[in-house]
Amino acid sequence: MSERIGWIASASPPFVPDPVIEAYKKDIDRTLLRERLRLSVEERLLDLMRLQRFALEWREAGKRAFR
Amino acid sequence: MIDIPAALRALAEGGVEFIVVGGIAATAHGSTRLTVDLDVAYARTPENIERLVKALAPFSPYLRGAPPGLPFRWDPETIRNGLNFTLTTSLGDLDLLGEITGGGSYENLLSDSTPVAAFGVQCRCLNLDRLIQVKRAAGRPRDLEAIAELEALREERDARRG
Repeated sequence: MSERIGWIASASPPFVPDPVIEAYKKDIDRTLLRERLRLSVEERLLDLMRLQRFALEWREAGKRAFR
Repeated sequence: MIDIPAALRALAEGGVEFIVVGGIAATAHGSTRLTVDLDVAYARTPENIERLVKALAPFSPYLRGAPPGLPFRWDPETIRNGLNFTLTTSLGDLDLLGEITGGGSYENLLSDSTPVAAFGVQCRCLNLDRLIQVKRAAGRPRDLEAIAELEALREERDARRG
């Protein structure tokens, strides 16, 4: 119990690698992440909005094409 | 999708105490994953609830997925009586979280958030370590790839810092 309370108080438990996460990590495109880290926060959010617009338009195009 | 600049501006200029969490916080840290709603943890003080209601009122908040015509009043009492709200607004989808799994309340998260300046406003964003922690705590299978990407981002960020 005291261990649990200590965990909440510190709010930062020691990092323990999870084998499942590590397996997923192998497929991450790190070159893409490095590109993203060069951008400002505002540029990253604007990129996301462009991607959202694209996804929306693509979905609508799919609906029109396959109905 | 959500108009991120307008939503952040409305909350920040309305004096709302909030922290950006979830997918858009991940984007701010460099995530490449697509997310369509804005998740914010908000302070549950009476004053902040008043500010939150006033700031979002012009954007017609309504319960997302609820049938049209369902009685829903956007007022402080509704927010006080609830905790987490998944809303649709004229700005887009917005999740207001009084508490988050593995993270607790706004007050619990505040020390693990960082001021971020974007779109001419200053707001707070959950830091990367805590974001990973809460996503791990949520334990959702669909988050596994997202957590892997966030951990890879942390490694890349730390490598850049040397």
